[in-house]
Amino acid sequence: MLREFSIIALLTALGTAYSLISGLAPLPWAEPKLQAGEIRLADAQVLDVIWVDARSEAEYAAGHAPDALFYDQGDPAGSIADILERWLQAPRVIVIYCADAGCGTSRQIAEELRRDLPDAEIYSLKGGWSAWSE
Amino acid sequence: MVRVDPTSFFGLIARLVLAGVFLQAGLPKVQDPVAFAVAIENYRIISGSWAMAGAIVLPWLEIVIGIGLLTPWLRRASACTMIGLLGVFIALHLLSWARGLDIDCGCFGESAGSPDYHWLILRNLALLITSIFVLRIALRNPRAPFRSE
Repeated sequence: MLREFSIIALLTALGTAYSLISGLAPLPWAEPKLQAGEIRLADAQVLDVIWVDARSEAEYAAGHAPDALFYDQGDPAGSIADILERWLQAPRVIVIYCADAGCGTSRQIAEELRRDLPDAEIYSLKGGWSAWSE
Repeated sequence: MVRVDPTSFFGLIARLVLAGVFLQAGLPKVQDPVAFAVAIENYRIISGSWAMAGAIVLPWLEIVIGIGLLTPWLRRASACTMIGLLGVFIALHLLSWARGLDIDCGCFGESAGSPDYHWLILRNLALLITSIFVLRIALRNPRAPFRSE
């Protein structure tokens, strides 16, 4: 049976290599380019933005951007209401971040927010929270 | 005369169903690993590069064991791997349900919106039981699905 598992592992590795070499998938450790809807930390910091933290509650409690709102994925309607309330008080750029460069949660939430707040300027942070510690 | 053993016959049907499900699950995710990485992250267990690595490897593993289940000399390990994967999927769905996460399961690559956890868990349980059935047959008679008399 060990030989069978080895063959399965080998075939899976070959498939993975094909995805990486053919460009079907990005390298997991690759530095992503600035994509549409993304903003660099340096650019966001010079603006008075509304930070939205899309990581877990424990990660948020351990440290977050100044005055960042916690985006609770278990209660997206409540989270969006909080963001809307903050934005209506003083309309400005909204920047959402998740854990690091490879995470896609912030992009997904940014897309949802753009539908709910079409007048707002909304970005996801390039590099996510890990950009803060670099 | 070739007599078809009912157990082997149902075993063949079970293997075809499982292989079809896993191929259908793996192929779209190979085409769009970034979307699958987002689905993995939404479970809030791993994120970033780990989620992307999982999104690249897991669909290929699903495809390989799907084909492996139809290949006599890979059947046992494929069934074992399938049982392990389905166990992990069920645990993840139970965990997400308990945490109240309203996420797309990412099972077949498409965005299905809010999950119906009852259905997801029941479906995976049925697939798990089918995989165990296939493994039992494979262990008993690893290479000959039909018996000649």
